[in-house]
Amino acid sequence: MKKIHLVIERDLRSMMQQKSILVMRWFFAIVQIGIFGLAISRIVTVMQNYYTYYAMGVIVMTMYSVAIFTGYEIYDENDDGYTEYLLSIPLTRKELVIGRSLAGGIRSLLFMAPIIAGFMYLIGIADPLRVGMALVALFGFTFGVSGLSITLAVGLRSGDKFDIIMGALDAFIVRLSSALYPQTFMPKPIAILSQFNPLTYASDLFRWSLNFNTQYLANPTTAVIVLVLFLTTFNVCGVLIYERSLEGGTWR
Amino acid sequence: MHAVVAVIEHDLRVFFKYRFTMAGLISMNLADLLIMAVVYTRMVSFNYFQFLAPGVTATGLFAAAFVIGREVNMETRRGYNQYLLSLPLRRYELVLGRMTAGGLRGMIYAIPLLVLAMFILKFPTLSQFGAMLFAMYLLSMGISGLAISLAVALRSFEKFTTARSLLYLLLIFCSTVFYPLAVLRQILPGSLILFAQLNPLSAVADLIRGYLIGAPPVTTQSWTELLSFSCVFILGGAGLYRIAIERSVK
Repeated sequence: MKKIHLVIERDLRSMMQQKSILVMRWFFAIVQIGIFGLAISRIVTVMQNYYTYYAMGVIVMTMYSVAIFTGYEIYDENDDGYTEYLLSIPLTRKELVIGRSLAGGIRSLLFMAPIIAGFMYLIGIADPLRVGMALVALFGFTFGVSGLSITLAVGLRSGDKFDIIMGALDAFIVRLSSALYPQTFMPKPIAILSQFNPLTYASDLFRWSLNFNTQYLANPTTAVIVLVLFLTTFNVCGVLIYERSLEGGTWR
Repeated sequence: MHAVVAVIEHDLRVFFKYRFTMAGLISMNLADLLIMAVVYTRMVSFNYFQFLAPGVTATGLFAAAFVIGREVNMETRRGYNQYLLSLPLRRYELVLGRMTAGGLRGMIYAIPLLVLAMFILKFPTLSQFGAMLFAMYLLSMGISGLAISLAVALRSFEKFTTARSLLYLLLIFCSTVFYPLAVLRQILPGSLILFAQLNPLSAVADLIRGYLIGAPPVTTQSWTELLSFSCVFILGGAGLYRIAIERSVK
């Protein structure tokens, strides 16, 4: 447990060194909520309170992109030959992967904490139970996303493949989910695809925790089940693939 | 002239090395148009899909034309400028070649998006098509100039990428790419409205809309704004690059 704690601490410190990236992601979330969200909610005519719906989606979306950053770091470490150093540390592979996934989740949460707190204050959510549920939903999701990004970073050895998959993931996962718009208004093919997307359930569970109109949200029980499956699957895959790819220097 | 062509050829070859970055960018643009715009069309009171198609062309052009800034910044940091200065080229040929190549790279990326917009909206006359290409090339050259100016002014890669992202957010979101100006007037303060009106991305997106759907109408003002922006940044970028490339090896 102490070793996992050390991995988490190291990853948190490394996040703090990337100040400009962090500030830019904040600025991006603020511009999305403060300009795009406000503007688009003026032209949306089919639902009330779309602005709040959208802002909640942007929060989850930004946390997703911070969590996926773990994969880029691991990829860069492989590229820079830093993996040899990590292998020399008295840690099991399992501790390393779990520690890094947990750190990915924690840093996403810490990173967005001021925006989440400000948003909850603005919409008047003060019930500790609801706040707690919302944070647990977000942490569970980002923990799973970190596992996914680690799985991809160690599973795809070609830089080109990694770039393409990450680019496509960024572009399609967000748009094929209910992060930006409810499933009710999606054309059938898009709605079907969004049902297989964990971002849909994370966004809707977050909204449900904050008391948003349930008419536009996925069933919360289904959302919890999907998120638990998601984070378990990708962390187990991450551990297995990481262990296999590290042996004998095959990550090179 | 031969030297300028050689520089352009070199930069176009390098551009295709970024094909994987470009694939990510294309995914983003297509996802915006074919998924996000399709859903929003069912949620707003007008055809958002048709509205966004020209906007996506303008954002794609902007992103692709900006890539040259990343290269120039890297060259400045890594001392590659010494090699460039040792080539049997006049300074103005090098600068002209790079700016022209930057503009062409934006066009190579954005023309398929324009064709897609034409399929979605309508096919213009030949003169309208020519006018759209000219407007896009002006924007592309202006953006390349802006990117080169930033790349040489901010030598640190971190500062450059931060400035690039800030500019990207301001230029894309404070423009008429995603929403009409009337909507922005309801939410932004006066200074940002003025910025959105003068924003060259707004000018190009609205010019393409004007030629393909007739609204907003194409005005002399849009062309004047676009020409002014392009002239300032093409000349500014060229001047700064010329000074910086010499200073960088001293």
